[in-house]
Amino acid sequence: MNFGEITLGHYLALSSLLFLIGLAGVILRRSLLIIMMSLELLLNAANLALVAVGRFQGLPDPQVAVFFVITVAAAEVSLGLAILVAIFRIRKTTAADQLASLRF
Amino acid sequence: MEAVFFWVFAAGLLISASALVAFRNPITNAVCLVVALLMQAALFITLEAFFLAAVQVIVYAGAVMVLFLFVIMLLDVKEEARRKPPWAKIVAVLGIGGGAVFGATKIATLFPFSGKTLQWGESKGGGSAAELGRLLFNSYSPLFLATGVLLLVATVGVVVLCRRDPES
Amino acid sequence: MLAYTPYLILFLPLLAAVSIRFFLNPFPRISVAVSTVACFGSFLGSLALLFSGSGEGVLATPALPWIEWAGFRANFGILADPLARGMAALVSGVAFLVHLYSIAYLQKDPSRSRFFAELSLFVFSMLGIVLADNLISMFICWELVGVSSYLLIGFWVERPAAGAAANQAFLVNRVGDFGFILGILGAWALFGTVHFADLPERVVGMAPGWAVTAIGLGLFCGCLGKSAQFPLHVWLPDSMEGPTPVSSLLHAATMVVAGVYMLIRVLPILELSQTTMMTIAWVGGFMTLFPALIACQQNDIKRILAYSTLSEIAYMVMAVGLGAPGSAMYHLTTHAFFKCLLFLAAGSVIHGCHEEQNIWKMGGLMKRMPFTVFVFLLGTLALCGIPPVSGFWSKDSIFAATVHHPGLAGLSMIAGFFTSFFMLRMILVAFTGEPKNDAARHAHEGSILMIVPMAILALLSLVAGLFPVERFLGGTYEDGHAAWTLWISLVLALAGFIPAYRLYRNASHDPLDVSFLRNKFYIDEFYQRVLVRTQDSFAKLADAFEGWVVRGFLLRGSGVVARASGQGLRLVQCGQVQVYAAVFILGVFFLIGWLCRGGVLR
Repeated sequence: MNFGEITLGHYLALSSLLFLIGLAGVILRRSLLIIMMSLELLLNAANLALVAVGRFQGLPDPQVAVFFVITVAAAEVSLGLAILVAIFRIRKTTAADQLASLRF
Repeated sequence: MEAVFFWVFAAGLLISASALVAFRNPITNAVCLVVALLMQAALFITLEAFFLAAVQVIVYAGAVMVLFLFVIMLLDVKEEARRKPPWAKIVAVLGIGGGAVFGATKIATLFPFSGKTLQWGESKGGGSAAELGRLLFNSYSPLFLATGVLLLVATVGVVVLCRRDPES
Repeated sequence: MLAYTPYLILFLPLLAAVSIRFFLNPFPRISVAVSTVACFGSFLGSLALLFSGSGEGVLATPALPWIEWAGFRANFGILADPLARGMAALVSGVAFLVHLYSIAYLQKDPSRSRFFAELSLFVFSMLGIVLADNLISMFICWELVGVSSYLLIGFWVERPAAGAAANQAFLVNRVGDFGFILGILGAWALFGTVHFADLPERVVGMAPGWAVTAIGLGLFCGCLGKSAQFPLHVWLPDSMEGPTPVSSLLHAATMVVAGVYMLIRVLPILELSQTTMMTIAWVGGFMTLFPALIACQQNDIKRILAYSTLSEIAYMVMAVGLGAPGSAMYHLTTHAFFKCLLFLAAGSVIHGCHEEQNIWKMGGLMKRMPFTVFVFLLGTLALCGIPPVSGFWSKDSIFAATVHHPGLAGLSMIAGFFTSFFMLRMILVAFTGEPKNDAARHAHEGSILMIVPMAILALLSLVAGLFPVERFLGGTYEDGHAAWTLWISLVLALAGFIPAYRLYRNASHDPLDVSFLRNKFYIDEFYQRVLVRTQDSFAKLADAFEGWVVRGFLLRGSGVVARASGQGLRLVQCGQVQVYAAVFILGVFFLIGWLCRGGVLR
């Protein structure tokens, strides 16, 4: 691990760690709201990896991809929160393990 | 210089992300997310993607987090109750995580990185709004238009989902 | 034109049967007329065939194509050689006489349309056997004859005994047919053909071995079933449950002798193995005596005649086994005449005594039904082989064939002694003395339609000995009446009358009481205990297997497996989003790993 010179590997490792932290959040937290926040972490990890690769390879195209990801993430969050509110109105709870009726 | 900024913002990002996952108060979690997003924007700047950094702050930290906070307020989300730790899930996460790291180290050998180091000034304005706009409106214009439609659909969907049934 | 006559002979009765069955069933008088006319038409056709040309040689007839593979040919062809022509004339003639008789016998029966349809079907099938040119089409008609027999025995459907007898006839025949089919397949495998005309050349140079013997015995099994020889003889006495015309036509004159006819057709195969021939001869020899003994203690007039039929057929079978097919055919012809006559006369007696069949309940019929009794006596003389009636000549030619086999000669001659014994017993008890029964007191002769056929048959029984019938019957006919067989058999036959006269003259009940004869040597009980029980336990085993293995294990088992695996897989759908997410991401990691290893992502 080189501390002085930053290579692409550093950024990718950072992105992976961030991804795993977000994954832990999605799987371990009960509240749907926190799960959605952890989803944002996942998306950000992906964005970071894209931009890093684009910068180190000299490509501008990944930045366009990141642009789209951010846009779609925004749309996804708005819809997700709308669903969350709708569920809360009916079920009066936002705990993920209690919203498990889509089963056998 | 590049190294210092990287390590500082990387550490900040990781710490705030961990805090997001660990704390139970929803407002604490929201604030941690904001901090994480700002750290992310800073890392974008270290990578000379200035436009994206700005978009990140404006859209993510500005609009998306506001949405989150509104919902927290609307639903009056309480602090998550203490419970005995879900060992099965913890083990699963650790297993998946460990396996992913292990697999990544194996895969990493397949992709020979050039070993180039970060040097500011090399991208020659590749991250500017002009450059991005050129790509966006020429090569990726169909996707751009599609994104517009997507946002329209999202808007309509949100409106429909949040309608209260007429009290009959 | 003449070449198509065999088809005319064959299909007229079939046409009659089909039209009665499908269209004319509600019109009994028309059905009766159609059936009788069709039979007469067949008879005329066979006479035409018989007297066409010189009566020798094979008439070339085009065959209806059926199976034509490389190396195997089986068409519906006709083999109109002298043997077939004579037999066809015999079958259709006797059938026509029985038709006339049945018109009177069944005139009060409401289902007589069905009877005549079934009778026409029988005539068609029997002619099919006679005219067939290969074993396969003969076998088809063989089975059809069995079906007709089943239908006719069980004609009176309201009688359970008749239905049981019909079943028994068909099933016992089936047992014989199993051996028959094996024989046919073996014949095809070994000789490459099933056509009778090809057999003489194909068997040349074939060494006798176990295969040839087995094939011969297999074919003989078919004869055992159809001609009711030991051990498959049990159905014939019980077949007397059917109407008397049926008994006379099928179970005396024509169907039961189909076995003998078939043996003569495949004689080239049988002659290859001395073992086969001797087996056939000894089975025949045994069966001359065995039923004759049983008949001495039977009390039903038709059953006595049935046992005598068994004995007479055995004479024919023995003759074939001894290499004298001409003698067998000669006796077949004369037997057809006098046995049919005896049965028709018995039917007349039964009809006159108002459906009474027990001889101990008749009596004194000589004065009341003189014509019937007279023809019955004539038939008895023929049966017992008393000169100058025809039966003497044909039986004697068979005795002549046993010259070199003293054991067989002894058996068959002693059988002749007992034949005379039980026939006189029957005549004395049923016809002489005082009427023992009100019905017998008011007995009367039947109508003209019953008398005429009996008269014709009586005439034929008388004179058939004088014709040079061998000209029409093909095969060789040993003309040497070795003197000693002639005298000894005649003496024994006449001697049989004496004890019967002494014992049964003026007897009101049977002085003899031999239970194992009366109970037919307990063979029925043996079959019931051994065969039927074995079959039942096997059937129960098969049922258990089907219940446990097929229904339980395979059917329900596969259902259980499907449901259990469904239940197992169902647990994957827990509804917990986080579990789904974890599994999802795991899958994605695996996918990436797999793609990287495949070098796709490089």
